[in-house]
Amino acid sequence: MSADLIVDPQIRFWVFLPIVIITFLVGILRHYASILLSSQKKIELQQLADSQLLLRARALRENSGYIPKNAFLIRKQAFNKEDGYLMQKRPAVNQNMMTDPSMMTDMLKGNLTNVLPMIVIGGWINWMFSGFITTKVPFPLTLRFKSMLQRGIELSHLDASWVSSASWYFLNVFGLRSIYTLVLGENNAADQSKQMQEQMQMTGAASGMPADPKVPFKAEWEALEITEHQLKLSDIEKDLL
Amino acid sequence: MTDFKKDLEKLKQYRENNDRNSREVVQIWIKSLQPHKDKLGKEKHVILEQVCIAALDTFNLNIAESCIKELYVEFPNSCRVQILESMLNEANDNHSNALIILNNVIKQDPTNSSARKRKIAICKAFVKNSDAIKELTDYLKVYMADIEAWQELSELYISEFDYGKAAFCVEELILHNPHNHLLHQRYADIKYSQGGLENIEIARTYYYQSLKLNPRNMRALYGIYLTTSAMLNTQKLVSGKKKDSAQKILEWVLKEIKQKYSEKSAIEDIKQSLAALEI
Repeated sequence: MSADLIVDPQIRFWVFLPIVIITFLVGILRHYASILLSSQKKIELQQLADSQLLLRARALRENSGYIPKNAFLIRKQAFNKEDGYLMQKRPAVNQNMMTDPSMMTDMLKGNLTNVLPMIVIGGWINWMFSGFITTKVPFPLTLRFKSMLQRGIELSHLDASWVSSASWYFLNVFGLRSIYTLVLGENNAADQSKQMQEQMQMTGAASGMPADPKVPFKAEWEALEITEHQLKLSDIEKDLL
Repeated sequence: MTDFKKDLEKLKQYRENNDRNSREVVQIWIKSLQPHKDKLGKEKHVILEQVCIAALDTFNLNIAESCIKELYVEFPNSCRVQILESMLNEANDNHSNALIILNNVIKQDPTNSSARKRKIAICKAFVKNSDAIKELTDYLKVYMADIEAWQELSELYISEFDYGKAAFCVEELILHNPHNHLLHQRYADIKYSQGGLENIEIARTYYYQSLKLNPRNMRALYGIYLTTSAMLNTQKLVSGKKKDSAQKILEWVLKEIKQKYSEKSAIEDIKQSLAALEI
């Protein structure tokens, strides 16, 4: 049934290729726009110190067996006593990120380079090239793929391996990553799929804001509290002789 | 042109491996890269930075200055370039100027670790050890997990004969890297220098550990010999049994040392043994 369906070669020149070229060029444009708009992230000194502190505490906990007992106890005390490193009182982290203007501009810029072109170009492509069948995947697919590959064409009898123009656009958006790395080098900002993943994570962790340091501090404090010192070198003499 | 590409490749490799190879870098710059400066493309500024540092190492201040000038055109407010400029000042013996620039950078960006490290280096250059130690401890209050800084601090303390604090720093190093025999050996050295029966016993344990991690470590063997004989001398009230075991250890160590020396070793081996002594 699908074998007797022949696609007009004009579609290749006026729909299939333009979509590829448009998505590619938009990606390159996005790359340069994001370079233009990107602002260097300022790291707070406190934040830096906190992460280093956690690193050190973990190293102490894991390798405590390699230092003498009193050396371990001195450190444990420094970390865990009443006002030790891990028990410091610190001002509450600014939870409401909307009050932080730099946060707002960052978000705006992110949206400007991610979501906006996605919607605008996607909508435009949908409107401009709507209703075309552009290509066919060279293997049979089940009916379930129809909604994925044939967006914008509601034909119940069409074989599922045909791809509609809107779906072809989305396939391009997600499939051009390796070409971008070829053209723009590693770590480019052209790839939309990566950005979308990032946004997904952002909603969870409030856009790169460090979570309240109290939580990992507390966990580290507890872990250190139950660490018993066991010198791993006590039997070393017997091992060697 | 292929030479040009090859040179670029070489420089890139040095950058990635953190090799300085300053002399060679400067040679490459003078011979093949400088005439084609505009063809460097994207890598131009990274290469300029690399060449600048190499030129400072080899005291080619003119080259360094021209690199910095070029970088300033592109990045007028960059902290990185300012640090390079301060290094040029340092090389020129203009330390006060360098310090002014560094303080400025730190004011702009308090998290800039390389500026702080340069400041400490200047203190060290003037043999103002106490100042360097003070700066370094301030630095370590923030960058607690900076292993190299801990190592630097331990060496500063050793040069001030403050063995207790030096030992603390080396303990920190061991915590971060418990399988490096040199650190264990260094710790044992410090503990042995501190003296006292207890410390010497600890020193011996760590010499054992170091020997276990690297059987080639001659210094650890000597360390065991020294610590054991020191224990024999200071321990007045050793029971006969302990004394016997100590004697046995001494004999064993001497045998090991003799054997190590009698082994006919190739130059490669000697090189390796020598490398084993550098921390």
